[in-house]
Amino acid sequence: MRFATNRAMTSRLYTIACAFGLFASLASAASLTGPRLLVVLEGQDEKANYSQFFGDLEERGYQLKFESPKSESLSLFTHGEREYDNVILFPPKSKGYGPNLTPQLLLQFANQAGNLLLLTSPSSTPEQTREFARELEISLPPRDFSLVDHFNYDTLSAPSKHDVVLVPRPKASSSTQNYFSDSDSKSDVIAFRGVGHTLGNGPLLNPILTAGRTSYAYDTKEDATYAEDPWSVGSQLHLVSALQARNNARITVSGSAEIFSDEFFGMKVKAQGSNKKVEVANRVFAKEVTGWTFKETGVVKVVGIRHYLTSGVDAPINPSMYRIKNHVTFEIELSEYSNDQWNPYLVPSDDALQLEFTMLDPYYRLPLLPSTFSLNSTTFTTSFKIPDQHGVFAFRVNYKRPFITNVDEKYTVTVRHFAHDEYTRSWDISGAWVWMAGIAVTVAGWVAFCAVWLWSAPVAGKSKGKKSQ
Amino acid sequence: MSSTGVQSILKEESTRNIRQLLKVVILFTIAGAAVSSRLFSVIRFESIIHEFDPWFNFRASKYLVKNGLYNFWDWFDDRTWHPLGRVTGGTLYPGLMVTSGVIYHVLRFLTFPVDIRNVCVLLAPAFSGLTAYATYLFTKEMKDESAGLLAAAFIGIAPGYISRSVAGSYDNEAIAIFLLMFTFYLWIKALKVGSAYWGALCALFYFYMVAAWGGYVFITNMIPLHALVLMGMGRYSPRLYVAYTSWFALGTLGSMQIPFVGFLPIRSSEHMSALGVFGLIQIVAYVEFLRQYVPSRQFKTLVKSFFAITLVGSMAVLVLLTLSGVIAPWSGRFYSLWDTGYAKIHIPIIASVSEHQPTAWPSFFFDLEMLIWMFPAGIYMCFNTLEDHHVFVIIYGILASYFAGVMVRLMLTLTPVVCVAAAIALSNILDAYLSVKTPVAPDAQTASISGEVSEPDTPVKKVEKRRNLLDSTKGTIIGIYSGTSKLMVVGAFTIYLFVFVLHCTWVTSNAYSSPSVVLASRAADGSQHIIDDYREAYYWLRKNTPEDAKIMSWWDYGYQIGGMADRTTLVDNNTWNNTHIATVGKAMSGREEVSYPILRQHDVDYVLVIFGGLLGYSGDDINKFLWMIRIAEGVWPNEVKESEFFTSRGEYRVDDQATDVMKNSLLYKMSYYGFERLFPSGQATDRVRNVKLPAKGPELNTLEEAFTSENWIVRIYKVKPLDNIGRDHAAASAFDTGKKKTKRGKAAKAARKLRVV
Repeated sequence: MRFATNRAMTSRLYTIACAFGLFASLASAASLTGPRLLVVLEGQDEKANYSQFFGDLEERGYQLKFESPKSESLSLFTHGEREYDNVILFPPKSKGYGPNLTPQLLLQFANQAGNLLLLTSPSSTPEQTREFARELEISLPPRDFSLVDHFNYDTLSAPSKHDVVLVPRPKASSSTQNYFSDSDSKSDVIAFRGVGHTLGNGPLLNPILTAGRTSYAYDTKEDATYAEDPWSVGSQLHLVSALQARNNARITVSGSAEIFSDEFFGMKVKAQGSNKKVEVANRVFAKEVTGWTFKETGVVKVVGIRHYLTSGVDAPINPSMYRIKNHVTFEIELSEYSNDQWNPYLVPSDDALQLEFTMLDPYYRLPLLPSTFSLNSTTFTTSFKIPDQHGVFAFRVNYKRPFITNVDEKYTVTVRHFAHDEYTRSWDISGAWVWMAGIAVTVAGWVAFCAVWLWSAPVAGKSKGKKSQ
Repeated sequence: MSSTGVQSILKEESTRNIRQLLKVVILFTIAGAAVSSRLFSVIRFESIIHEFDPWFNFRASKYLVKNGLYNFWDWFDDRTWHPLGRVTGGTLYPGLMVTSGVIYHVLRFLTFPVDIRNVCVLLAPAFSGLTAYATYLFTKEMKDESAGLLAAAFIGIAPGYISRSVAGSYDNEAIAIFLLMFTFYLWIKALKVGSAYWGALCALFYFYMVAAWGGYVFITNMIPLHALVLMGMGRYSPRLYVAYTSWFALGTLGSMQIPFVGFLPIRSSEHMSALGVFGLIQIVAYVEFLRQYVPSRQFKTLVKSFFAITLVGSMAVLVLLTLSGVIAPWSGRFYSLWDTGYAKIHIPIIASVSEHQPTAWPSFFFDLEMLIWMFPAGIYMCFNTLEDHHVFVIIYGILASYFAGVMVRLMLTLTPVVCVAAAIALSNILDAYLSVKTPVAPDAQTASISGEVSEPDTPVKKVEKRRNLLDSTKGTIIGIYSGTSKLMVVGAFTIYLFVFVLHCTWVTSNAYSSPSVVLASRAADGSQHIIDDYREAYYWLRKNTPEDAKIMSWWDYGYQIGGMADRTTLVDNNTWNNTHIATVGKAMSGREEVSYPILRQHDVDYVLVIFGGLLGYSGDDINKFLWMIRIAEGVWPNEVKESEFFTSRGEYRVDDQATDVMKNSLLYKMSYYGFERLFPSGQATDRVRNVKLPAKGPELNTLEEAFTSENWIVRIYKVKPLDNIGRDHAAASAFDTGKKKTKRGKAAKAARKLRVV
């Protein structure tokens, strides 16, 4: 009971905090997690190769800090708190990461809601990365495996090796939110050189960029010009994948670091059988991937929740107790963060936001429909009649969709039985009139009998010894 | 008639007041003794509510005092039976709480700043004084005042009753025994006088009894049975008719006002006997009426045919209604009264309660001492006179002794009748042997002895009546002539009574005054050591967990968690939902992978187990485990199997010979988790079951230890949330401890699962 009010209060506080956050974000990064960004990168020349990528990030307000993978001074945490909000891990040239970037620490970073962008490369994927990826149910191919596609490759840069693969940008879908298919972009193709990975079936994992049907990964150290035994093929190979943890921390794994390099940003490619040289969309894609990973997009916030008696004029908001068969209305206000502002959240056309009214199992699962829009948020509403079952129920909105933060709201309310004076009175039930008439007749008859008995004088001499006791 | 000194003084009109005063003083002394012998627990420990059920009653009383009667009536408790909740106001007997609530408000009104807890703690002793008075009244109706006073003294200190009414034992029985005796007294009075007034009073107290205790069914069946037997003995009288009908009509209407009882009096089989006798007595009354008009020859055939038809007809109607479901069939608890093995097979939840077990014979002596052998003598005395009200004592005695043999807790209903019967017997003996009417009686000695055991006015009155057995067998010789035999018999009984008092005090002090939430043990040097693990743990819960945290434990501890820790529980001692209890049993007996989804589904935050292995506390969860398994098996026979918890040789073991199912069960893991750390390697010993435990303790992945009390009796585990990145808990903890997953080389590629697109 107190639970719900507390939650309501925290959500209100959250709103205020976010309003402040909004002003603050104008000055700093667009990321909701924070501007502190750690880039683990080896060597200054490497840094120069990615100048545009880092420039874009700094432009969006991130405070970049560069560290070498083996650095002793590097620490993700200070006094148990996160030192950084976001981390980009470039593949190390050397054997692996230092002791401050073990898989356990990386996972702890994610458990404390820090975001990770993990870049791999075919030639240097250290065992730590592999182990970390395994925990995410992402399996990386062995060393020196590379992705090729003999049908969709760039004829300019990889005419013989076919390892600069042209992948179309992720398609817009009508059932999920689209953060990787910005329609403004001039180009529609991403140049990719690296390796894919395969994904397990975990519900938290979602591929962002998937390889084409004709691509495969094979061992480049083998001499054969074609792969006899490809590691994985077709659309089972994913190039960029994302895992959004239950605490909404985001971990993105890319099969290639190079696609974010200056070289690929400025690349012009020509597909097989095409005469036109086209620009690639790598730069836009890099912005989208980093933007999503660092929570500039795809953050959905519950602004507020209200439930109340539908019929009541002055019905209290968010009461802790209802009665069976009450008519109630439930409202949830959702707001979505995109780039630097809170917008009303819109449910994709083939998707539905649903309310469950549940005790152990859902008794109702009802669509929540948008009723009002404000500048920053959408209010979704539904009304229903509480089932004829008392117990501790929960209004639950369990809206977990790819690429948006989890909306999992559970507001517990007690549904009580009828109180002793809430039942329909007997005279209001027409079926009971017969019985009530029966009672009335019996009472009247008894009174009449008593009256007759009392006022009829006994006739003398006719007594038969009745008073025997 | 005779004119010895003492008698002439006692017979005088002016001394009547003194006798009255003496009676009052004696009754008050008995009440004082009854109350004070129940205060051991308060003095030894503190003013604390005992055991399990009293904690619920206490919590309900607090709710009543805080929220008022109407809210109490409509109370929907969302802090028990999560998430089902409990319609508490409609599923409890409110008599106890309302009684203490009224006392509380009266004392407050009188400006006594009393705490509801102290009202609750001291309610049972206070009512034991009233019980003594009610028993006095009841026995007085049976024989005379002296027997009444003896009975009052017996019931005041009989351990069979004290066991349920020590200070702090705030249970329904605390007031119910008083109501039982008082209702019976009013019934006897109504029967004797034949007035609707006393019948109505009887119904009123019957209503109170219904409000107070589920054992009211005993009255519901006792009174009809008495009436039936009287009619069968040909003792129908208008007095019986008036008493019975007024009791039944008013009492049934009254009992239906209690929400928990509702329509049971006309719908359940347990109440059908009262209804049937009500119908029968109408017929008998009508037949009696007819008798005045019909010649006796025809009358007999008429009566016979009439009875045959009604009997067959009513039986047929009863069977028909039962089959069609209008009348509920006998409940399981009822069946288990007749077949002691019934519950164990069909309703393990009833059999799992220790107080539902059959009584062991020594406990009759333990609880009643000398009364148990005085009891048959008293019943015999009743047969000897056999008036209408004596029949009642006989029936009550027979029924109650049967029930007491079937269930330990029903010893409670036996105790009053034993006290009554024993008092009748003893009073008869004293009447005969204390009589000063004999020619050569040594007056001085008897008088001095009689002062010890009975009040001095009894001899005279009794001798005048002279109806008892001992007199009649002597034929014309009245009384005992030999002073020595008088002295010996009276002396012997004086010693018996002294021993009885000593025994009662000893039993009360040693067996029945432990609150069971606080355990006491004696060190080698005799000093007392208090083991307070329960309260320590409950207090930890109260102070360290969120207010809406849900605690899962076996149902025994539900009321205590609700009362002491003030946290939501899944199941408690009000075992109304067998499936929910079985769910907890399944979670306790299942593997972690099975249990974890159950815990998640029920929003469980903490799991509490009782473990006695370190201290040798035998009432722990591992010893109760088989009941959990049985109850769970009753609902999920395919998932939980009792046989899997026994070794191939049929042993229930917890050491390294234990079955894998046992070792992997959640309860086993929670009980023994980290236990081996207390001992040198390989030396871990369970002191309850006296076995060495495996050197390597169990691993827990889905739970983490949150609290373990000083003596490890209470262990509390926190349920881990789902893994942040979607792994199962075993994999997550393996990763945290640095174990690497097996590398997937090229060889393993073929077995790799494809992602479903």
